[in-house]
Parts: sequence; C-alpha cells; structure tokens
Amino acid sequence: MDWECCWSRDQIEPENCPYIGEGEEDLLVSQRRRIVEKCVECPRFKNDLARMKGAGYPLSDVLPYILTEFQEQKTQMGAMLSFLNSKTREIKFLREVGLVLQTSLDLDEVLSIAMTAITAGKGFGMNRAFLLMTDKDRRHIRGYLGVGPRDYEEAWRTWEDIGRSNFTLRQLARDFQKTKLSSEKVKFHDILNQLTVPLADQGHIFNRALTGKKPILVENALNNPDLDRGLARILGVDTFLVMPLISRNRRIGVIIADNCITHKPITLQDMQSLETFAFPVAFALERASLYERLQEEVAKQKAANVKLREQQELIVKMEKMALVGKITSSIAHSIRNPLMVIGGFARTLLKATPEKDEKRGFLESIVRETRQLEDVLSEVLDYSESLFPVTDFWDLNELVGKAMGELEGALEQAGVRSRMELAPELPMVRIDYKQISYCLKTITTTALAAMEPGGELRIESVLDGDGVLLRISDDGKSLTQTAQEALTAPFFQTQELGEGVGLSLCKSILERQGNSLSILSRPGGGNTYSIRLLTRKENI
Amino acid sequence: MAKLLVVDDEANIRLLYAQELSDEGYQVVTAGSALEAVEKLESESFDLAVIDIKLKNESGIELLQRIVKERHTIPVILCTAFSCYKDDFSAWLADGYVVKSSDMRELKDEIARVLAKRQRGTYV
Repeated sequence: MDWECCWSRDQIEPENCPYIGEGEEDLLVSQRRRIVEKCVECPRFKNDLARMKGAGYPLSDVLPYILTEFQEQKTQMGAMLSFLNSKTREIKFLREVGLVLQTSLDLDEVLSIAMTAITAGKGFGMNRAFLLMTDKDRRHIRGYLGVGPRDYEEAWRTWEDIGRSNFTLRQLARDFQKTKLSSEKVKFHDILNQLTVPLADQGHIFNRALTGKKPILVENALNNPDLDRGLARILGVDTFLVMPLISRNRRIGVIIADNCITHKPITLQDMQSLETFAFPVAFALERASLYERLQEEVAKQKAANVKLREQQELIVKMEKMALVGKITSSIAHSIRNPLMVIGGFARTLLKATPEKDEKRGFLESIVRETRQLEDVLSEVLDYSESLFPVTDFWDLNELVGKAMGELEGALEQAGVRSRMELAPELPMVRIDYKQISYCLKTITTTALAAMEPGGELRIESVLDGDGVLLRISDDGKSLTQTAQEALTAPFFQTQELGEGVGLSLCKSILERQGNSLSILSRPGGGNTYSIRLLTRKENI
Repeated sequence: MAKLLVVDDEANIRLLYAQELSDEGYQVVTAGSALEAVEKLESESFDLAVIDIKLKNESGIELLQRIVKERHTIPVILCTAFSCYKDDFSAWLADGYVVKSSDMRELKDEIARVLAKRQRGTYV
C-alpha cells in the first residue's frame, strides 16, 4: 500500500515530512526515532491507520490503544522532566545561595544575597520582599529592610536592567549591596516602621509562623475575617507569604514576600522552595548578627586594653613624677634655709648701712637676687606639691567667686573689668580645691598680661556632658603657637608668657586629675582658656 | 617687752631670727631642738613661740602637739619651707603659719597679729 505518512521508509527527504524542522535533520535517516517523535502525532499517520483498519489489518484495532497509552506516558514523562529541570535549577540556585551565605560574615552582604535571591528573576522571582528581625532585647520583631519596586514603572525599569545584565546571583547581590542597600532601607521606611510586633503577641501571624515553624500563605486577606486586615492594608496586597526564619530554635525573624506588581499567584511550589531557602538564610543571618556583636565586643575589649595600657603608662609616669617631686622638694628645702640666711643677713646689714654708703648697692643686689631665687624655689615647690592632689567634690561657681574676689586688686590695677556668666545648678566637680583655685588665678593673671586697660575678661561656667567647662576669655593680643606650646613645657620661655612654670603647672595639675586645659586664640585678637573638670570619680 | 621662743635646728637661722626680732623690740630666746625647747618652756614663761616644722630629731608639728597637750598656754607660729603644711590638720593647731623667707616682714606681721590678739584676750 502507498502510505500517506513516511513511517514505512528507512530514509526520507525533507519534503516528505512537513513536521521535521530545522535542527532535526537526523530524523530523516533514523526511522525509529522519526516514528516515536513525529509520526505518532502526525495526522497523515492517523489517516494511514484508518486505511489499515479499512483494509482489515489485524493489528489496526490494537494499535490505537498502544498509541494512546504511549502518548499519555510521553506527556507524563515530559511533565516529570520539566519538574526535574526546575528542581535541578532550584538546587543549583540554592547551592549558589548556600555557598555565598556560608562564606559571608557581613550582615549587609547576607541581607543583600537573601533579598536579591527572593526578588531576582534568576531566584524565586517574587516582586517584593520585607525582612523583619528580632531585636537585641528579644522583645519585638521589627521591620529591617524592604526590597522591590514601589510601582509598575520602577518594576519595569528594574526588570529591564536585570534582564540586560548577565550577572550571577552573587554579582547581583554585590551590585545591590553597593548601589541600593541604603536607599532600599529608606525607600520602605514608612512600611517597615509599621511592622513592629511584640514577640509576646502569640496571635499575630508573624508569631504564628514562628511558633509553627512553617510558612503561612495569606490569600484574600482583606475579606478574610480570621486575619488582621491591618497588615494587608500596610502592605497594600491581599496575598502574601509569611516565611519564618528560625535557626537552632532561635527566632531570627520573618520574611514577607508578595507579587504586588504582577499579582501572580503564589504557588505551593514557591512556598516549598522558599522554605528550603529560609533555613540557610536564618542561619547566615544569625551568624552574621552574632559576628557583628562579637566585633562590637572585640572593639570594646580593644578600647579597654588601650585604656588599660594608657593607665599603666600613666602610673609609671606618675611614679617617676612622684620621685622627681620628692627629689625636687628635698633639694628645694635644703636651699631654702641657706637662702634665707644669706638674704636675711643682707637685709639686716642693709638696714644698718647708711644711705650714702657704696656697699649698699652690693647688699641690695644680694637681697634682690635672693628674693628672685626664693620665688623660683616657691614655684618649684608648688610644682612638686601639685603631684599629690587631695580631691573632693566642690561647687565650681563658689570657687570661681572666691578666686576672682582675691584677684580684684590685680584686675583693678590692669584696668580690666570682669564679666561672670556662671550656669546655675551645676553638678559638683571632683577637684583639689586649692590647686584648681591656683590654676584659675594663674590663667587669669596670664590673660591679664595680654590685655590692654579697658578690656573685658569673661568667665563662664557651663555643663559639658559628664563634666563642667570653665572658660576664661580675654580680648587681648592672640597668643602665638609658640606661646601655646609653652603650656606643655615647664620653664619654657616666650615673649608673651615670660619664663616660669605657671601655665605648664596648671596643665599638669589638671591632667593629673583627669581634667584638661586648652587654649583657643582667635586670629583677630583674644584668647579663650578652657578648663574641663570631671563631675564623676574616674580617670584619676 | 614680749618674750619669744624661737626653735630652729639651723644655728644661722636662729641667729638671724634673734637679730631681726630683737631689732623689733622683742626679747628672744632660741632653742636648737625640740628637747631644748621643752626644757626652756618648762623653766621660763614665754608670750609666743616661733617653731620650724622641720627639726632634726622631732618635727615641729610634734612639738606643737606636745605644747597643746601639756597645756602650755602660749601661742605658736609655725615656719616652714613648704606651703603644703597648711593642709595638715595638725598644723591648724598653730595660731599662725609662715613660709620661710629672707624677707621677714610676713613673720614680723604674724607675730604682731598673734600678740595683739592675745592682748585683746581673744586668745584661748
């Protein structure tokens, strides 16, 4: 019989079968494959079967059953293959996500990967996702990050961009972390702020998902009386998925995912895939959070170590200083008595020497030089004394009042008026009263030296964090850098400050008690001396 | 004429005090140690004692404490090379406190002040 279909021929030409397309040329020479892949579905073959039946071929009654069964099996095989392919893709994707998550300790990187994986087409392809995390106190679950477009236009633009690029998941995540993470945090700020839920609220869907350790698919939320409509209103969708993130029985957080733009239904398979994905994400998030906290603790520990080392160095330095102080005071004391004898007898002799006697000049020199040596000695002794402060809590404003009262004469002599702006109700400062009083008087005297008659000296006290700030401002000539450096070196000589230990002693006294002294010279004229005094017992 | 007891372990300083204070019109008796001072306090009467804080075998403050304890009712002025003794509570027992200096005006003023206070009867 001359058959309409090509099934009976070993080899055919392309024009013999219209169903063999480009790329399928090998079917022209393979009869078996051609029959299985093409002929069984070919209308010409069906016509041939009909003719067979008409001609009384014995197998023509059986063949249709076999063919129908074969087609069903083929369809099932196709479906299974497609399912297997999708599962293979999913496993590949999860492996990629898993690898990245396993190697990352950076919370932001983990977040970027997780959120990109949920929303990217190469991943789960959801339109939008929100991550909510349990706070440090473990009392609330709070909105942390939202990813996705806000409207259709943005969605279209983003998907077009992603479609053009051929990035892997990790590259997409890196790109997201670099360019979008911070802006996405802000973009959904309004929604995230409304997603805070107490962990104790067992009836809330987030906590139900966490307690049940299973994702919950919410559908038709606006018309479902069993559900809180508020959440659907906040999200602006009535179908969404709530995925719990649990690691080692710890509630890490929740992911909410939806298709707010395409409104594509969320399938059971979507849910199962996301569930598989949620475990490594929860684990990585927990690990990254712990790592972040560990880093914070390490930083604190490092800072404490640095402080400890500084304190140790300070102790060594103080011991050295104390020794210097003891030696200094011992030397000074040994010198004080002979000086007193020399100067004292010179004064006695001077009293008995007639006005016109030429020896009077010599004696006056001895008296003058002795006096000068005694002044230097007093400064040295004051310095060594400053090494042993006696601290207690004092009212700074009262101290300022008394010290400035003692300086009234000096202010009057310099023709300078003073203005006090003392903040009321300041906390007590922990100081050596005598030493701080000395510092204030020394600074004031130094400031007066730079001022012209008619000038104004301003003294202010203000609260400054855990301390009190005392500012002494003059309107005299600005101190040069060299003059300011004189602060740190005893006996450093400058034209402005003269020679001595005055300000350097003040700085030493203040720093020893955990306080500080700084000078700010304004280019146009005027200097401000700031003393910061502690109100608490520390750093001493 | 007020009679003063000057206690200092330095002979030259004792000499200087004796010279200067005699010029001011005081009768001056000197002692080179705490022991000598106690002996003199027991045998003679004084209007005022000027004591150096740093003595060889005993501190001036200990001597001051002994004077107060044994009810010698004479006022005491402490002299020292250190100003820090002002903060020593024991030094507060003294009626006056002077930092040693070749310029003895401060000491002389202090002696005059303490004696005047005593004469007014306010001294206990």
